[in-house]
Amino acid sequence: MTFNAILKKLFNKTDTKDVAKKRLKFALIYDKLEVSDDLLKNLQQDLVEVISRYFEIDRDAINLDIRRSEDSSALVFNTPIVSARHCRESTA
Amino acid sequence: MDGKVIVVTSGKGGVGKTTVTAAIGAAMAMQGKRVAVVDMDIGLRNLDVVMGLENRIVFNIVDVIQGKCKIKQAAVKDRRIDNLFLIPASQSHEKNVIRPENMIWLAGKLRKEFDFTFLDCPAGIEQGFKNSIAAADEAIVVCTPEVSSVRDADRVIGLLYARSIKPRLIINRIVPKMVENGDMLSHEDVLDVLSVDLLGLVVMDDKVVVSTNTGTPLVMQKDSAAGSAFQRIGLRLDGHPDLPIENPMGQKGFWKKLGAKFSRKN
Repeated sequence: MTFNAILKKLFNKTDTKDVAKKRLKFALIYDKLEVSDDLLKNLQQDLVEVISRYFEIDRDAINLDIRRSEDSSALVFNTPIVSARHCRESTA
Repeated sequence: MDGKVIVVTSGKGGVGKTTVTAAIGAAMAMQGKRVAVVDMDIGLRNLDVVMGLENRIVFNIVDVIQGKCKIKQAAVKDRRIDNLFLIPASQSHEKNVIRPENMIWLAGKLRKEFDFTFLDCPAGIEQGFKNSIAAADEAIVVCTPEVSSVRDADRVIGLLYARSIKPRLIINRIVPKMVENGDMLSHEDVLDVLSVDLLGLVVMDDKVVVSTNTGTPLVMQKDSAAGSAFQRIGLRLDGHPDLPIENPMGQKGFWKKLGAKFSRKN
């Protein structure tokens, strides 16, 4: 620690290396989460197939997306349900 | 016994791969090993000038692979250090002229002739990188304490693990004063981010440019901090794996001690 560094501490300045480290950590997380459009499309197809066994869904209104915030990432799948399959089968 | 083929790579360009390759190669040859350094950057060769052997090239790696000459004919013997040989890149070919299978064949031959072969990989993760890692037993990843370089190192480390090649890291061009001031990532910071074993820490050293100017081996320069770090890395690679890694931060002076008291983190 040098004299300049002490001054910096006294005036409560953030070290640029801490900024660098934080940015780097996020960059690496994002790099690893990067997924291709093809992969998302395939995932959506599979999800629709599975969900369709249980629910009747509006295939045109489906939305699959990866949402990223400061410290987490989420896979968000949005679909309007038209009706539940087993209900229809039981009443039929 | 067969020798080892070690690839020196980084992803990002300009972090010191060629310097590292030349210096470790020279250090290990001075330790008595039979060493070959191979310039894998087809079309943009540089290892020859760094080693001061640019005037003595007759054949190159492409000639060897195309069967135009033997490895012994292409290998340029170092002027100053016994047992050190350079296999230069071709300056006139396309980089796609070499395929991974060619390198696997060449590496098989090199293992018979040399105790250690270092492949100076070109920047990037394209053909030259693929050729280099196809033939490698081990890998050295070089990075500097900068965001861009560490990110690329992470990518390359991932690719090496995917090929079951265990990488070890050299952090190059550490500026102790900047690290002390909190303006440069420390080696602890870098290791915290990357999941990889450390092979060595190399301090920023003006002697690197001086030795490149004249084409003299860095490890033969007197009082070169980087040179002695490379010598210790050479020992770690052969027979002394537990040789302690020196912290390049140096001695603590009055202000540094005072600062350590003020610092909340220490």
